Amino acid sequence: MDFANLHLSLSNILPEISIAVFLMLVVIFDLISHENKKLIPYISLIGLLITGFIVIIKMGITDSAFAVPSMNAGGMVAVDPFSSYFKLVIILTSIIVIFFSMSSKEIKDIYKRSGEYYALIFGMILGMMLMVSAVDLILIYLSVELLSLSSYVLAGFTKLRDRNSEASLKYIIYGSASSGIMLFGISVLYGLTGTTNLFEINSALQTTQINVFTLSFSIILIFVGLGFKLSAVPFHFWTPDVYEGAPLPITAYLSVASKAAALALLIRFIHSTFVSYVNDNGFWEMITVFDWQTLLIVISLFTMTLGNLTALWQKNLKRLLAYSSIAHAGYLILGLAVLSNAGISAVMLYFLAYLFMNLGAFYVIMLISNDNYKENINDINGLGFSSPLLAVPLSIFLVSLAGIPPTFGFVAKLNLFAAVIDANLITVVIIALLNTVVSVYYYSRLLKHMYFNKSEDTVTPIKVNKMDSAIVFILAGLVVFFGIFFNNIIEFVKNSAQLL
Amino acid sequence: MSESNLISLAVTILFLPLIGFFIVLLFGKRFKQLYKFEVGIITVALLLSIFTGVVKLTNYFNNIIITQFTWIDLGNVPSIGHLSINLGIMIDNITVIMLFVVTLISTLVHYFSIAYMEGDARFSRYFAYLGIFTFSMLGIVIADNLLMIYIFWELVGLSSYLLIGFWYEKKSASDASMKAFLANRIGDIGMFIGILILFTNYHTFSFQDIFQNIANGVVPFGSNGWLTAAGILVFMGAVGKSAQVPLHIWLPDAMEGPTPVSALIHAATMVAAGVYLVARIFALLTADAMLVIAVVGTVTSIFAATIALTQNDIKKVLAYSTVSQLGYMIMALGVGAYKFAFFHLVTHAFFKGLMFLGSGSVIHSMHHEQDMRQMGGLKKKMPITYITFLIGTLAISGVPLTSGFLSKDGLLAGTWAFADLTGHYLIPIIGFTVALMTAFYMFRLVLMTFHGEPRNQHKFDNAHESPKLMTIPLIILAALSIFIFYTPNPVAPSEGWFFNWIKTPQSVVPEEARFDFMKSDAHKVEGSLNKDVHGSGSENAAITYSEMYEHAMHKVHYPAMIISVIFAVLGILLAFLMYEWKKIDPDKLAEKLKPLYNLSYHKWYIDEIYSFLFVERLLDLSRFISWFDATVVDGIVNYSATLTRGIANITGWFDTYIVDGLVNFTAFISGFVGLSLRKIQTGKVQTYIVYVVFSVIIILLILRPF
Repeated sequence: MDFANLHLSLSNILPEISIAVFLMLVVIFDLISHENKKLIPYISLIGLLITGFIVIIKMGITDSAFAVPSMNAGGMVAVDPFSSYFKLVIILTSIIVIFFSMSSKEIKDIYKRSGEYYALIFGMILGMMLMVSAVDLILIYLSVELLSLSSYVLAGFTKLRDRNSEASLKYIIYGSASSGIMLFGISVLYGLTGTTNLFEINSALQTTQINVFTLSFSIILIFVGLGFKLSAVPFHFWTPDVYEGAPLPITAYLSVASKAAALALLIRFIHSTFVSYVNDNGFWEMITVFDWQTLLIVISLFTMTLGNLTALWQKNLKRLLAYSSIAHAGYLILGLAVLSNAGISAVMLYFLAYLFMNLGAFYVIMLISNDNYKENINDINGLGFSSPLLAVPLSIFLVSLAGIPPTFGFVAKLNLFAAVIDANLITVVIIALLNTVVSVYYYSRLLKHMYFNKSEDTVTPIKVNKMDSAIVFILAGLVVFFGIFFNNIIEFVKNSAQLL
Repeated sequence: MSESNLISLAVTILFLPLIGFFIVLLFGKRFKQLYKFEVGIITVALLLSIFTGVVKLTNYFNNIIITQFTWIDLGNVPSIGHLSINLGIMIDNITVIMLFVVTLISTLVHYFSIAYMEGDARFSRYFAYLGIFTFSMLGIVIADNLLMIYIFWELVGLSSYLLIGFWYEKKSASDASMKAFLANRIGDIGMFIGILILFTNYHTFSFQDIFQNIANGVVPFGSNGWLTAAGILVFMGAVGKSAQVPLHIWLPDAMEGPTPVSALIHAATMVAAGVYLVARIFALLTADAMLVIAVVGTVTSIFAATIALTQNDIKKVLAYSTVSQLGYMIMALGVGAYKFAFFHLVTHAFFKGLMFLGSGSVIHSMHHEQDMRQMGGLKKKMPITYITFLIGTLAISGVPLTSGFLSKDGLLAGTWAFADLTGHYLIPIIGFTVALMTAFYMFRLVLMTFHGEPRNQHKFDNAHESPKLMTIPLIILAALSIFIFYTPNPVAPSEGWFFNWIKTPQSVVPEEARFDFMKSDAHKVEGSLNKDVHGSGSENAAITYSEMYEHAMHKVHYPAMIISVIFAVLGILLAFLMYEWKKIDPDKLAEKLKPLYNLSYHKWYIDEIYSFLFVERLLDLSRFISWFDATVVDGIVNYSATLTRGIANITGWFDTYIVDGLVNFTAFISGFVGLSLRKIQTGKVQTYIVYVVFSVIIILLILRPF
């Protein structure tokens, strides 16, 4: 490997390097300062801002890193607007989650160990950033594992209650099983094609005859690993338990960032490996070895239906949001199932909306739960009158999650369904729309609890400090803002939907 | 003063009343004196609009000043190209005239209301409503596009609803506000469709761009018929707002609002908006559309005039007279007498505002008595009100030396010239008949109210001249009803400055769809409008009429003037004969013409007919729909809800018992085994793997890749 190439490759993975450096800085600072750990979150924030800045600078670049000169295809890491977009999503989520952690009572209680906590978060970020740009099966597996291992620990990090550890345990057992299955799939795929590079697998699929059954088998096994991260039905069983048991900031983080990474990985995996060419209308012409569309549609419909129907009966707010996030994963996979550029940009836009509204909703619930770990649906009775500063933003987030205008959630859903309709999947859209109707019920049930139900005992207004309400209101403001002025953001997302 | 300064001034004038509205609405309850802020702010708006008018008419006399900005950028739309929705402000001569008229009447009404509304429970809220009403009306005046007009049009609808129903404790008042709102909605639907026809074809709402397109020969859907339809549909909005037949029903009822509100809404603003709208779209009206407009206006004017003959409520007479005069203006626009229509709009705004405020003064002093049969002899008690009211009455009757004479005479001459050119002689005949009736019923009102012996001694004894806050606005408006403000020559309005401020817009309609007399003459430069429609266009290019028309107009000018004076005098004489000198007994006459009298007295039974035709049928329909809703729709909904709940129950149950059960079971096993085999517990994950493996098998079965 010549040095010019190495130099270029290193500059292409500068964001990842920056995250790794700050991971070490956090660890070192944690070791130096025994008592005063207040600065650690701020170091993390600075690190994220610097990384975000680097990503933005490199936004337009389309290149690959660590390419082997002998192969004509790309290397291990793809650097393109698509990955930059998802890196930005991950960084944005992480910044919000760090604010989350700074005001969460659960995390404050483990103040002494906060160095480890932030270091693990950086571990997750590193894993996710590699996931969104990995184009090699080895790197895919390694980055998924890096993400998983950090998140297993974080899920049970606080150890304040039994269910923390229970969540962590369930997560790790389930996670290792699926990652094992995925690794098995990867090894079979390698055995069939003789390479781990996605582009080379693509050319191998196009040129050589491959046993279709074995190939499909391996793909399904790989899909298990990604479906687990996406919490797609039927690989979702861990989701409600882990979301309920994990500390709230981590729950929020898992529900947004790790899903973003897994989704980006799935998109890239399909796009790089199975698309023979993109036609003029932006639809992907697939190599006819595997019926991705049927698989994705079936999975997505099951995911959203189960998520929505089960959410109807939840009494715990975190569990409710867990099922709602399963349902949203269904919508996201639906966008991918279109297998077109329009579908991808719809998914990306949806994800941005999902980021704001889901993190916002979790943030408000975290602020409520800081008050004696209240997480039950009856705990928000009369919230609209006792703490309107929390109830109003929460209502905005819920309305947006349900996809009612004028919110970002509506714009995103509209865009998504439009992409699906363009692909002539009318029946699918109808099922998805019916699902949306169901989801309106349980979101509005929360609104009813906030505004119409009287609380049994006298409610004292929840105290919220200024920074928290500022964050909540900024998120709510963005949800409404993009719900009204969406031209530029759609344009931005469309420009970012370019894969290597 | 640059052009952009003028635009900023106009925007300032527009938003001043809105600021007043918000401040008075929000803080009016706490600070009782805050209404003075609204009054002050509207006075500032008046002064600014006088200033704007002077600058526009002196420095930029021939310019149309337009500023546009993009409101929504829709980007590239398939098969259309780049599409954006622009809003903008247009200032031409009629804009500044209307700005002045609206702010003047509004200001006078504000001052008048301070005295009139004294002691009302929602005193400051009343001023807030006046503020938002003025804001909405000013928005229509300065808009340069149909969309903005439509937005402010609806705002006018809303604020008039608030004002008419201001005393909402009175059922009649809240009903009237509802009726006004609904009747306007019907017209607005047509207007909206018309706007959409234009937008679908030209992808713009801007008047100038639409005119430009039509002038270039692009007609909607390639047919002049659609252009006619668009014109008539947009005109429907005016039918609602300007109370033309058949949507005139709301205006008389709207008299339930406070009387100063009637002066504001029914003299200068809301009803004028419809006429203003037709004036704005005048350039795109085809001959057919104009004829429809002329007929609607003519029918309205005679229809309302016949009703006004027999009404006994002082405000009802004024209301029907307003409808009748609005019919005049619409008729004038329809026959192409654009300048006189607008002229009459302005003069009518002043003298009708005067009469409404005058009637307010009477009602105020009679302790809210509105029935003229309870009045009489008030001229001794209320000299200022009497004299100013008399000036207004002379003006509306078209007696020489008044403003009404100038505009009305020209307007009737316009209809006559039109009849000469096209043969529609019924229009001027009805026009002159209405002039006679107008003079009669207006003097009937004056004689019954101010002359003769008091009919209700008790109320008469308590009557008194109104305070200065009320009489000064009357005096100002009475002064503005004198000819000298418009022209130095009391018999020839066209020699005056005011008349020359108004420029008839160049018709852009394809030649074959115009009236003959509106076709451009051969020697005129073709498409003189095309040069610079955008930006600061020149109003000098506005030459619409052929010499044929000028000639016809010239020919009928003096005959029309003489006839209209004779008719006015006849009407006045008749009124004096019946009500002052008692030579003819009105009751006996009514007895003799019983059917006609009843028809007029009961307003041609229009309300009853509408009630039978529409309201009752609508109720039937809604009863049917509610039955359908309650049985069929609700049934389906309930059934599907039950079904959903059932499915959800099953999945919920599945998750709780099967899934969680399994998880808990494994956890239990793990825990149990973990007790003894703590260090090697990772091995016990069979259930998870079983699940995942099952899923993989099922997916393989679904996809069948073999």
